[in-house]
Amino acid sequence: MTRRLALLLILGVVPIALVGAACGSDDGADVRSSTAGSASGNSGSPSNPDSASGSASGTGLSLEDTQTAGGGNAVVAQGVLAYGDYVADQVDDTIARTKVFTNAVRAGNLQAARAAYAPSREGWERIEPIAGLVEEIDGAVDSRVDDFAGPNDPTFTGWHRLEYLLWKKNTTEGGAAFADRLDADLQRLKSGLETLEIPPAAVALGASDLIEEVSEGKITGEEDRYSKTDLWDFNANVQGAEQVVTVLTPALEDADPELLSRIQAGFKELEASLAPLKTSNGWVLFCQQNDEFPSNLCPKPTVTQAQIDRMKAQLAGLSEDLALVPGALGLS
Amino acid sequence: MKRGGISRRAFLAGAGGAAVGGGLLAAAACGDGQEADGGAPGARFVPFAGPHQAGITLEPAPATGLMASFTVLARDRAELAELLRELTDEIAGLMEGRPPETRDPAFPPTDSGLLGPNPAPDDLAVVVSVGASLFDERYGLAPRRPRELVTMPFVSNDRLDPERSHGDLLLSIEAEHPDTVLFALRQLMRRTRSTLVLRWVLDGFTRRGSTAARSTGSPRNLMGFIDGTANLDAGAGTTMDRYVWVAGGDGEPSWAVGGSYHVVRVIRMLVEFWDRTPLSEQEHIMGREKVSGAPLGMEHETDVPDYAADPKGAAIPLDAHIRLANPRTPETAGSLILRRGFSYARGYDRAGRLDQGLAFVCYQRSLETGFMAVQARLNGEPLEEYILPEGGGFFFALPGAEPGTFLGQALVA
Repeated sequence: MTRRLALLLILGVVPIALVGAACGSDDGADVRSSTAGSASGNSGSPSNPDSASGSASGTGLSLEDTQTAGGGNAVVAQGVLAYGDYVADQVDDTIARTKVFTNAVRAGNLQAARAAYAPSREGWERIEPIAGLVEEIDGAVDSRVDDFAGPNDPTFTGWHRLEYLLWKKNTTEGGAAFADRLDADLQRLKSGLETLEIPPAAVALGASDLIEEVSEGKITGEEDRYSKTDLWDFNANVQGAEQVVTVLTPALEDADPELLSRIQAGFKELEASLAPLKTSNGWVLFCQQNDEFPSNLCPKPTVTQAQIDRMKAQLAGLSEDLALVPGALGLS
Repeated sequence: MKRGGISRRAFLAGAGGAAVGGGLLAAAACGDGQEADGGAPGARFVPFAGPHQAGITLEPAPATGLMASFTVLARDRAELAELLRELTDEIAGLMEGRPPETRDPAFPPTDSGLLGPNPAPDDLAVVVSVGASLFDERYGLAPRRPRELVTMPFVSNDRLDPERSHGDLLLSIEAEHPDTVLFALRQLMRRTRSTLVLRWVLDGFTRRGSTAARSTGSPRNLMGFIDGTANLDAGAGTTMDRYVWVAGGDGEPSWAVGGSYHVVRVIRMLVEFWDRTPLSEQEHIMGREKVSGAPLGMEHETDVPDYAADPKGAAIPLDAHIRLANPRTPETAGSLILRRGFSYARGYDRAGRLDQGLAFVCYQRSLETGFMAVQARLNGEPLEEYILPEGGGFFFALPGAEPGTFLGQALVA
């Protein structure tokens, strides 16, 4: 992919976007491993060799650009540059894995399509806030049925339209057109990101919003209400958010080390809460007590109310701290 | 502090300046149900510091109220203490009108700005109470549990919804205007995001009644009856000492002295059903005239019923609500409680009936001699046909905090 991302965009958007955005995930082992290169960096280093090399070759941002983007702070600029590579990698990854998903839909293979659904969303969810800056993409690929009068509204497209078909209607029939459209929209995302420019102020603002988004959409089970794969998205959101912090770590070490350590501790605690929900090839289905979206995939709860309350508080605390990042870095 | 960057105000509990401003308009009401001082409602900063939480007895009661019940997620006793310290600091600042600090616009503003740069007093008061569940194994507080504090049982014709009942910690917020209440709620939640998770919220209003002669100024509830006529006088210190505040020698843990058992009952009223009930029946169920509030057979709201002279219930039926609630006998004199509820309206149910009622709140020195004794007498009353207790809980309102200390400090020490 072309990595010509406007730095400014990246900076501002990243923290927020990453946190909240990630929705997708893998239901399969293959997903996890394929992610490993770019995203595994949950623990993540910006200096991840894959992304680092990738960005260097492709970003097309000059040092001068980056310095502008970082409010004159070269350390911030460096981080933003690294983040641009990450975004580019995630977009490529999303396109590739979505192709696996859409091919299965077109081939009429219900099982394979279901297995490929959650993994195909992970990359998108890691960078969703930034990706969402490309006009009309978010609405086309990631709308939920709530945004429409009903599931049969012809403008309801994207992953969740297919999710509805695969899990609610138990078929791939009628899915090919939506599959084609999803592939095309993701190509549009890729080219859109290449030319998008975002004012610096927008950059860091998004981080805590992203975490809020996890709180609002994932922990409620709204996002993947038919497939119950919310935890893939949840985890990808967190990974994406953490990646933002990772690339900004050197700058935050200078600007506000106390804030940085609170944020890092916050991610650790959140990951510790998620850890017991991992399975050998992904995540447990997200089944809550008194589920707002009952499903026969959920004969009994897989996540307790106490676990959910704990994660709500951790997400909320993290949001508050991430909201201070732009100010701490002087990215006004 | 954990959230230094968000802190709206420096932590100086008891810092003199703030306390003084409030002190001029002391919250302690003088008592007779009339306005406590010359100021119009809403003109007061309620002084925060003192032996009791001021919001429990603030008179007249502000016009809007909200209760928010939380699950506490502090990981240990130290984090719980920090939570209480943060709450205390924010509450003191809100009640005493400390203006928000301004900071670099690259940061989120330190407050929501709902009330502009200098929030008006508005009689804002916040009360912090704790539920029985806080005394489980998490914080090692079991030995410090107030001896009567238990999870609210089903009583009478209760149909408690677990999702709208109980909780580890309850915030009760009152002010003259709803935006002031919401401002306070948002500030308090912002300071405590990583340790408090909402369990339920209920908000509502109370409209002061007539101040004509021989009226108490008590509000009408959503059944149309004046509610609170025979309430305890919150401005009378000796009365409060006798019936409301836990004292040394009560057999309670020492940290609890100055606090109060705090009962919340979310009592839905089946208002459509009530509205098509004959007036005479409504009045016999309550024991008072609807319009005047006078006990049946009497003239004025403040007239005191003479049950001894009406042993068979000819004027006021033996099972009338007011007669059961307060029989005015020597044996029941100990079961007086300080009521402080508000009306609520929260939409409608699946049957298309309005979901309205009374957030009944009372404070007392003992649950057994207070609410439980009153409730035992009310069990089976004719009024039950028209009401449905759906939520609430038993809590314990923490003692007040003196300058330099925080609410619950002795509890978590």
